[in-house]
Amino acid sequence: MDFKLRPARDLGLAPGERMRSLKRESGLFGTVTSGLWRRATRLYLRLAHRLEVVGRENLPAAPPYVLIANHSSHLDALTLAALPRGEAARGVRALAAGDVFFGSGRTTAFAAYAINALPVWRGRMKRGDLATLRQRLVEDGLVYIIFPEGTRSRTGEMGEFQAGLAMLVGGTGVPVVPCHVSGAFEAWPAARRFPRPGRVRVRIGPALDFSAVANDRAGGLSLAQACQKAVEDLR
Amino acid sequence: MSIAFANEVTVWIVGATLAALLAAALAIGVLSAAGKISVPLRHELWLRLGSWCGLFPVMIVPVLLGREWTIAAVTLLSLACYREYARATGLFRERLLSLAVVLGLLAANFAALDNWYGFYVALWPLTASILAIVSIPQDRPAGYIQRVALAVFAYMLFGAGLSHLSFMANDPGYRPIILLLLTTVALNDVAAFTAGKLIGGPKLLPATSPNKTISGALGAVAVTTLVVTLLGGALFEGTVLSFAPWLILLGLLVSVAGQAGDLMLSSIKRDLGIKDMGVVLPGHGGILDRFNSLLLVSPIIFHLVHYVIGLGTGQPTRLITGGG
Repeated sequence: MDFKLRPARDLGLAPGERMRSLKRESGLFGTVTSGLWRRATRLYLRLAHRLEVVGRENLPAAPPYVLIANHSSHLDALTLAALPRGEAARGVRALAAGDVFFGSGRTTAFAAYAINALPVWRGRMKRGDLATLRQRLVEDGLVYIIFPEGTRSRTGEMGEFQAGLAMLVGGTGVPVVPCHVSGAFEAWPAARRFPRPGRVRVRIGPALDFSAVANDRAGGLSLAQACQKAVEDLR
Repeated sequence: MSIAFANEVTVWIVGATLAALLAAALAIGVLSAAGKISVPLRHELWLRLGSWCGLFPVMIVPVLLGREWTIAAVTLLSLACYREYARATGLFRERLLSLAVVLGLLAANFAALDNWYGFYVALWPLTASILAIVSIPQDRPAGYIQRVALAVFAYMLFGAGLSHLSFMANDPGYRPIILLLLTTVALNDVAAFTAGKLIGGPKLLPATSPNKTISGALGAVAVTTLVVTLLGGALFEGTVLSFAPWLILLGLLVSVAGQAGDLMLSSIKRDLGIKDMGVVLPGHGGILDRFNSLLLVSPIIFHLVHYVIGLGTGQPTRLITGGG
């Protein structure tokens, strides 16, 4: 990315406000803490879950792109975040439930400085928030991790994909990479407080191009269906 | 305690600072009660005073505690200033250059802690060279001039520049000198603000800083030069620097370089299209909005005093690395 004489998007926000902001841009400190967290989780996934990655060649050569997957465990997000390498890895932002990850001060600091998550407030997202996410994805060359089911499956079965994804990628030409994670639900279901060891496997499918899909309701439904089918086909 | 206040000028400065804060609180209180000042101005004045009450202990206590504390405080201040600068200019997105600036800044303060003047002086051209080289292997010539120039400028201001305050701490009589700078630079700002409000008149540089007036700038020069000359007379008694023309030059430089630092930051902010560098200090903005005046004063005054009477002369050198 070329150098631009442009202030941080989050300039002028107080520290707490900044951590919860969709405009948050990492500095040296944040880059170091999230880099350490990324390395630690990769090591953990390799040792405790013998993570197996199939189809790595399907990852786009450079960001921006969006990783989507089925969602039944916190391990899903850790697994997807472990996939990109280099510049793409530093650009990973998990779109995480605001009420779960940005509820208290401690979890907010963890979400902002370790997992580098951006908060999504269920039912409270404004149009401006989506515009910010869309703009940042393209301009800042980020990699979003999104679980289109909206929440972790309590049974391990995949739920229906929501149409919201279209508002982020519809018409942008940003590739959407379908992934399917297996073994994560058995290792760490939503009902358990801590994970237990167990094999986790992720299959990465060919990237989907939605540049022709309109950013509207009909476009959203067709995009959600296409994404759901692509993830199901990877099972 | 006795070492911290060994020099009577230290006692005067700390006492005068406390008295000034009290007097300011009284003045604002009286003016507010009499309804002489508008509500927004009153609010701004209380916010500024509140910030000063928090800032003065943070600035003065490390200086009183000792050399290492002073250097640690200056290092933290430099890092905080650099962080704001990097986030305002976008330099923080250049991780490699940003890391090189931070390492250079830490090295300059380490050289001060070690009292190794040769290394300290060498760091300026060496860090500039490293900053010029470090992003070449990325093979991204687009934007090279802007990002390297911003990084070199950052090192000049927050590394090479501010660390002169750290290096001053190697002089056994550093306490009153550093306190004199910290407080007169603040006085300079307050004098410019007050004289500008009281006298008014034509603007100084309306495109750069619309609130500053010529009368404020001249008022600050007069007040600061007078105070520095008087305090400096007692502080440097018996040395060449107690010669009146030197003292007046010292006072003029503190005032002019202080105001130049302020206007420099205003130019940076105008160029970027932002109002404040941060939100840490109520009534002031960011840390850099408060300490901008020190950026140019520190190296200029260090070298004037060092040239005329020598700073830290005869003290043990290379305390950590040895070989001094």
